Amino acid sequence: MDAVVHLENVTKTYETGAPPVVALVNLTVAAGEAVAVMGPSGSGKSTLLNLVAGMDRPTSGTVRVGGERVDRLSETAAARFRRRQVGMIFQFFNLLDDMTVLDNVLLPAQLAGTRAPAARARADELLRTLRIAHRRDAYPARLSGGERQRVAIARALINRPAVLLADEPTGAVDTATGEEIGALLASLNAGGQTLIMVTHNPDLATRYCRRVVSIADGQIASDERVTR
Amino acid sequence: MFRAALRGLGGRRLQAAIIFLVVLVSTATSVVALGLLADAHGPFDKAFAAARGADVTVLADTSLASAVRLSATARLPGVTAMTGPFPFAAVTAVVSVPGVAGTSSVPLRVAGRATPGGPVDDLTLDAGHWPENDRQLVAARGAAVFPGSTVTIGKQAFTVVGVAESVTQTADAWVLPSAATELASDTGQPGGQAQAEMLYRFASAGSVAGIAADTGAVRAALPRGAVLDTVSYLEVRRSEEGGIAPWVPFIVAFGVIALVISVLIVVNIASGAVIAGTTRIGVLKSVGFTPAQVVAAYVLLVAVPSLTGCVAGAVLGNLLAAPMLEVNARVYEVGTLGVPAWVDVAVPLGAFALTVLGAVPPAFRAGRLSVVEAIASGRAPRAAHGYRAQRRLGRLSAVPRAVTLGLASPFARPGRTAVTSLAIVFGAAAVTFGAGLAVSLNRLVSDSPGSALPVTVSAHAAGPNLSGPDSSGLTAPQQRVVTAALSAQPATLHIVPQTDAELSMPGSADSANVTAYGGNPALSGLALISGRWYSGTAEADVNTLFRTETGATVGSDYTFTRGGLRENVRVVGEVFQPGKNADVYMSPATLAALDPGGAAPRQYDVALQPGTDVQAYMNAVSAALGSASGNGPYTVSASGGGGQFGAVLTLIAMLTALIAVVAGLGVLNTVALQIRERAHDIGVFKALGMTPRQTLSLITSSVGLIGLISGVIAVPAGVYLHLAVVPVMAHAANSGYPASVISVYTPWSLIALGVSGLLIAVAGALGPAGWAARARTAFALRAE
Repeated sequence: MDAVVHLENVTKTYETGAPPVVALVNLTVAAGEAVAVMGPSGSGKSTLLNLVAGMDRPTSGTVRVGGERVDRLSETAAARFRRRQVGMIFQFFNLLDDMTVLDNVLLPAQLAGTRAPAARARADELLRTLRIAHRRDAYPARLSGGERQRVAIARALINRPAVLLADEPTGAVDTATGEEIGALLASLNAGGQTLIMVTHNPDLATRYCRRVVSIADGQIASDERVTR
Repeated sequence: MFRAALRGLGGRRLQAAIIFLVVLVSTATSVVALGLLADAHGPFDKAFAAARGADVTVLADTSLASAVRLSATARLPGVTAMTGPFPFAAVTAVVSVPGVAGTSSVPLRVAGRATPGGPVDDLTLDAGHWPENDRQLVAARGAAVFPGSTVTIGKQAFTVVGVAESVTQTADAWVLPSAATELASDTGQPGGQAQAEMLYRFASAGSVAGIAADTGAVRAALPRGAVLDTVSYLEVRRSEEGGIAPWVPFIVAFGVIALVISVLIVVNIASGAVIAGTTRIGVLKSVGFTPAQVVAAYVLLVAVPSLTGCVAGAVLGNLLAAPMLEVNARVYEVGTLGVPAWVDVAVPLGAFALTVLGAVPPAFRAGRLSVVEAIASGRAPRAAHGYRAQRRLGRLSAVPRAVTLGLASPFARPGRTAVTSLAIVFGAAAVTFGAGLAVSLNRLVSDSPGSALPVTVSAHAAGPNLSGPDSSGLTAPQQRVVTAALSAQPATLHIVPQTDAELSMPGSADSANVTAYGGNPALSGLALISGRWYSGTAEADVNTLFRTETGATVGSDYTFTRGGLRENVRVVGEVFQPGKNADVYMSPATLAALDPGGAAPRQYDVALQPGTDVQAYMNAVSAALGSASGNGPYTVSASGGGGQFGAVLTLIAMLTALIAVVAGLGVLNTVALQIRERAHDIGVFKALGMTPRQTLSLITSSVGLIGLISGVIAVPAGVYLHLAVVPVMAHAANSGYPASVISVYTPWSLIALGVSGLLIAVAGALGPAGWAARARTAFALRAE
């Protein structure tokens, strides 16, 4: 299968002289794969995700997503890249408090300049698929943790990204809701959506992903296929 | 606690810098305003005190009151000092300057004094020496009579041996008492009286009422009719304060605006500091800070940069005021004039108190915050304002989403939006006011003979500059030569013959300046406040000061006298000619009725075709007149003027720009607070694909709309301020004003000025917006 994400000798250092947060990482993710990135706090998982999303630049090395050199993009080009290629899901949802569910979901499409009827149709479809259509006019403060994360997933998917990046998607919800979110992500992957998920939870990683990459001190410690 | 406040300050350098700058500008502007206001009388008062000026000058008829009787008034209750009686004569003198062709005719009030000193009106001898015999005369400064000149009064000729200054202008010239007595009997006084001048200082002379009571006592102590005239120092003081007084009202207006904006910005900064520092407040309280200490810490947060700004502003204000005060100091030769010490203390203290008071309510809010809530939330709970606006604006598919996100922002913090809007309203109102004021002053410059008639040709010889041209005017051959030379120039638009004279005004220390324009007087460029220009004989136009000093009104009659000749003229118009002189404009024919020998043109003023190089034109005319058959040398000069206006226009531009900058800093502060509070949201936007340009649009549109609305509100406010301040300025310059000076705003200019609020808002937002747009997404996303 074609590689959607390709990292080559990627190093990220925040301060001169300080040890790198990510050191000489090589990683390839194929289209349709579901990869869990695991590791202790401060191991560099989230930084790796940020580098793939073009939200941060590596100190050295190359990052390619969908054939595009992400590490060389300007801020504007990186923003356009994220609209097309990446959907982001965060641990604490990062929904905008002053917007309704529908407005939160529509936002990336609106920023991308998608025509309003098309964006609306896609949002309706996602809200139905994710079973939150009945809360479309609610504000995030009124939603449960699971509902919030489903809204965040819908928002991440609205522009049909090549890769879905999830940073601890179950970290802020209870176990049952975590299971629900995991299953939802797995079903999306089963539909062909490439997924990279950062998680602390080994059970979630092995149950819903087919590949687990472990990171320690900024380096890949192991990269294993999950056998069921 | 102080250390805690300073630590907080370190984390808020931008806000501290903004407080410092806005307080600096407002304090400086207020120091200039109050300093000039306080010193409007300062130079005169200093000179008056130093010279023991006369509170009241009394002119008495010595045929009704003897010298002994007059001297006895020194013992009246309330009289603290008296000098005189000095023999006095009001005469018309003919002045000739050695080496200068022609003579000039000058009205002089001559007093006889043995010495320049005395308990009252101690004269300052500027040049030369006091008269040593009956043929010597000392002229007053500004009397246009110079040492070495010969002054002929009646049959007597005097040599000018010195120049002296009387702070209360008790005379135009002084001779020895014996010479003055001889002069009075030789020339004859109006009505035939022998006159004497007495100079008084009173215990209570601070008000018009006090002066009236004092002069009433003198009048009562003398035989009926013995007091011919009285002049109070308050009249002289009023006429002398004209220099900077007209400019004070607008400086005060700018100062007040700057102060209000400062307070508004400080309120926003302090409340923003509370909102942004909620966690810190929680931590401070958890380690034992009492609510009062938290309040004190937050007040100190504002107080430190505010105090620094106040001190720096006072220094800057003194530096700005110095050049203006120096002009007055030179006029009065009273050494160095500075901003009064009380202004240097009161203004910074006042500004400091206002800004600190502005910080108190938000600081109290910080003091009341719950520890648990503050630490738990990490920031002040966001009020659920603006959700509806966000929702409705989100539906506007025709408007880019980044813009609608920005447009919804002001609704989230309505209090801050209101305060920021007010700051923009004041800033944009200052721009509207400043622009209008600049147009008004430009019109004043253009509504003057100096602009309309930029070139003057007279028959002067080179040499000392007498106040007027040759008293006899140009001869008929000279007139033909000059008009032929001017008519031959293709750039000549109009030629306006002009002559002038001085006439005494009964009951006043001043005399009226009469200008007679031949042909159409409207070509002089002078603007009419009311009425019309004179169109024939027995009509005159006057300036406001003449009208107020004489009580004449447009449509009333006034009788001018000169050397026994009388001419009753009708005042047909009021001319805009501010200043300390009473001015009259009439036709040469009307003037001839009062001064038969002086009605010939004394100079020709020339209006030029648009775009003409004045210097090149003057060179061409000089060449033409130099080649003409000699009837005496001619002087071709530029009319000049407008220099003071140039300096004032620069000051207006500077103050307007400073206030716009201060308002812009207010916006910058608001946007910086907004970005600080919404940094995480901005990070989310960026993570979802918002480009830097879209981020810039979001932030600028968040203040753009309120800038536009504030600008629209500010325009009428600025126009109103202009309408209110210009008449006060004109009044301070002893004048009314023509409609052209007040009607300065066109519909297009109002629209352009309405955009000024938007410009201030966008300019203020661009700095922090640019920073937010450039920030790396991961960095913004980590921000809280």
